[in-house]
Amino acid sequence: MIHVSFSSSKFTAVAMASRKKVLLKVIILGDSSVGKTSLMNQYVNRKFSNQYKATIGADFLTKEVTVDDRSVTMQIWDTAGQERFQSLGVAFYRGADCCVLVFDVTAPNTFKSLDSWRDEFLVQASPREPENFPFVLLGNKVDLEPRSISSKRAQQWCQSKNNIPYFETSAKEALNVEQAFLAIAKNALAQQNSAVDLYNEFPDQIKLTYAQKPPSSGSSCC
Amino acid sequence: MSFLEVEPGAAGESLLLTTDTSQPFDDEQMSSSLEEIKRDGKPKETDESNNENISNVNNYDENSSPVQTDNEENELIQDKKWALMDKHIFVLSLAGKPIYSRFGNEDKLAWLFGVMQTLVSFIQSNEDDLLSISAAGVNFVFAIKKPLILVAVSRKQESVPQLQSQLNYIYNQIASILTTSKLIKIYEQRQNYDLRRLLSGVERLINHLLDFCESEPAFLLKAVQCLSLSSSVRGNISSAIISSCSKIKNIVFAILLANNKLITLVRMKKYSLHPSDLHLIFNLVQATESFKTGESWAPICLPRFDSSGFLYGYVSYLAEDCQACLLLLTVEREVFHTLAEAKQRIVEKLRRNNCLEAINDSLAKPDLSCVSSGFIEVRHYLYKAKSTAQFYQPSVSPPYNKYPQVLSNMYKRLHQRLHCPARPLKLFFERRATEAIFAWDTVGFELYIIFEPLVETSNVVAIITRLLNWMKEREDNLFHLHVPTF
Repeated sequence: MIHVSFSSSKFTAVAMASRKKVLLKVIILGDSSVGKTSLMNQYVNRKFSNQYKATIGADFLTKEVTVDDRSVTMQIWDTAGQERFQSLGVAFYRGADCCVLVFDVTAPNTFKSLDSWRDEFLVQASPREPENFPFVLLGNKVDLEPRSISSKRAQQWCQSKNNIPYFETSAKEALNVEQAFLAIAKNALAQQNSAVDLYNEFPDQIKLTYAQKPPSSGSSCC
Repeated sequence: MSFLEVEPGAAGESLLLTTDTSQPFDDEQMSSSLEEIKRDGKPKETDESNNENISNVNNYDENSSPVQTDNEENELIQDKKWALMDKHIFVLSLAGKPIYSRFGNEDKLAWLFGVMQTLVSFIQSNEDDLLSISAAGVNFVFAIKKPLILVAVSRKQESVPQLQSQLNYIYNQIASILTTSKLIKIYEQRQNYDLRRLLSGVERLINHLLDFCESEPAFLLKAVQCLSLSSSVRGNISSAIISSCSKIKNIVFAILLANNKLITLVRMKKYSLHPSDLHLIFNLVQATESFKTGESWAPICLPRFDSSGFLYGYVSYLAEDCQACLLLLTVEREVFHTLAEAKQRIVEKLRRNNCLEAINDSLAKPDLSCVSSGFIEVRHYLYKAKSTAQFYQPSVSPPYNKYPQVLSNMYKRLHQRLHCPARPLKLFFERRATEAIFAWDTVGFELYIIFEPLVETSNVVAIITRLLNWMKEREDNLFHLHVPTF
C-alpha cells in the first residue's frame, strides 16, 4: 500500500552538493485535525497522543538528519489548520524549501481541500519556479477505518501535480513517518542544489569594474 | 558656566562626519559615494530612500507563546545556562532561517528562529513593526533591516536605543562583508537562501564587534578616541602619508591607528568618514590577527560611506618595531603593489622624522589618570567634542580598573538619561553611596564624570571648569584637530 514516486531528475544534483551544513525550512499544511502536529511529534519526539489540541498560530520543531552523508537541519513549521488561526500566510510560507500537504484518509473533505492548500501556498510563497517547487503529500491515519480515499486516488492527484511524492502514514503507529520526512528532506535538498549557487563567488566584482575606468583628466581628487 | 570661548577638541572643520544631528545616528540615509568617485565627483542625482516607517509596539501579549516547553527537543530552553545568558543576539532572514546566534548552535535553535520570525510577522501583518518587548527584566529588541531581522535579548543594563544601535552595527558588519545591494539581491533571487554560506568566518567579526560595543565608550558616544601625540608629530605623519601617495589616484582614505585609537586620517577632500564606519575598521583590525603577519588586500564595504560597493583596502602594520596599523582604501581593484610601495615610502619618512618613535612612546605611556593630572575628586570621565566626533577619557584607575563593567554600565545609564527620546536631560547629578555621577549635554560637548561619593556639591562646578580648561590646554595632543586631505 505504500507508494513512493519521485521524479528522478530531482536527485541528480545532490551528489554535487557541497558538504557544508544545510538548513531546510519545511512547512506542514492541511485541514485541521488531519494530524499535522501528531506527525511532527512522532517524527521529532517519537511520541503520540490521542488527545486533540488545536495548534494556535504555529509550532516549531528542529530535527537533524543525515541525507547522503550531509548533515541537514530541518526547521519544521507546523501551522494551524483552523482558519481562525491563519493570519500569517505570507510570513509563514516565505522562503520555504519544501511544503508538506497532509490529509486524513478517512475524511474526504480533507482530501478535497488539498488543491486549495497547494494553490494558497503557491500564491503566498510565490516560489521562483512554482511548477518545480517540492511538495510532498501525506495521507495520514491509515490505521483507522473506514477508509474513504484510496491510495490510487491520492496517487492520481499527485501525478496531476507534476509527480508529487506520496506517502501513507500513521502518526499513531509511527508507520512510514521517518521515510516520509526523509523524502521531504531529499526533495528540498535537491531543489536547493538544482539552482547553482551563484553566490559563492567573490562578491560584487561587477560593480567595481566601473571604478577601473581611468578617471578623466578633470579629476583633482588626489 | 560659560568660561571657555570654544570647548576643548572643537574645530570648524571636522576630520570625521559629526554625529550630532537631529536624525538618529543609525538610521541616516546611507550615502552612495563610490558611484560619485567613479564619475569623478559629480554627486548622484537621486537617492533611494531606505527610511522605514517604524512605530513602537510595546506590551506585546506573550501569553500565547506556541513553544512547548515540555518536550525533550526543547531541552535548550531547560538548559538554564544558555537561557540565562546576559545577552543573546540573533540574526535571521525574513524567511526565519537562522544566520547567527551569539551563543549556542544556530541549527539546534532553528525552532526559536521560527518563533522570532513569527513575532515579527504577526506585528507586520497589522502593518506595524515590532520594536521591543520588555518583560521580567529582559529587553527583547528587534531590528527589521530588510532582508534581515536582528534580535537582541538582554538582561544587561542597556537601553532599547542602545541595543538597537548595536543591532545596527551588526547589520553594518554583515553589509561590510557583502555590501547591502548584494544582500538585497541575494534574497530577491532566493528567499530561502541560507546566508551562512557566505558568512563563514564572519561570526568571529560579529562576536568581536559585540564585545567591542559593550565595552568601548566609542560606540556609546559615536565618536573616536585619538592617540595622544603632539600636533607637530601628527602633522608630520599626515604629511608623510600625503606626499607618499601624491601620485596615486583614487585613494579615498588613509587611516593609521594603534591600540584602538586613531593616529591620523587623511581623506579625499570631498569625502568624509563616518565614525560608525571607522568603528567597523577598528573592529576588523582588532579581530584579525593575521594582519600582523604581513600585508593584506581586502575588499571592505563601508556602509555609511557607500553601502552598494567595495573599497579595496591595503592593510599592513607599519613595522616590526611599531605596531600601528595602516589602511589605504581605494576604489581601484588592482593596485596592491602600488600601495605596498607607498607604504614603504611612508614608513621610511616616518622613521626619518622619528615619528615611529613618537608613536611607540605614546603607546607605551598610558594616558594620565585623573589623580595624576591633579583631579583627586574625579575617578573617571568621558568627554566628547561634538563638532569633531572625537572623545577623550583618562586611564581607568581603582576601583574600576578591576571592574570595567561597573564603569561602562554607569556610563550607559548616564548616556541613556541624557538621550532618552521621551525625556532627554541636559544636566544630571546623582549622589550615591559608592560614587557621585554627573552628566552634561551642551551644544558643543557631552561630559560624563564619576566623582568620589563625598565630593562637595559646591565644588563640582569648579572641578568641571578646571577639567575643561585642562583639556583645552592639551587639546592639540588629545584630539586630531586638523583635516589633512589628499
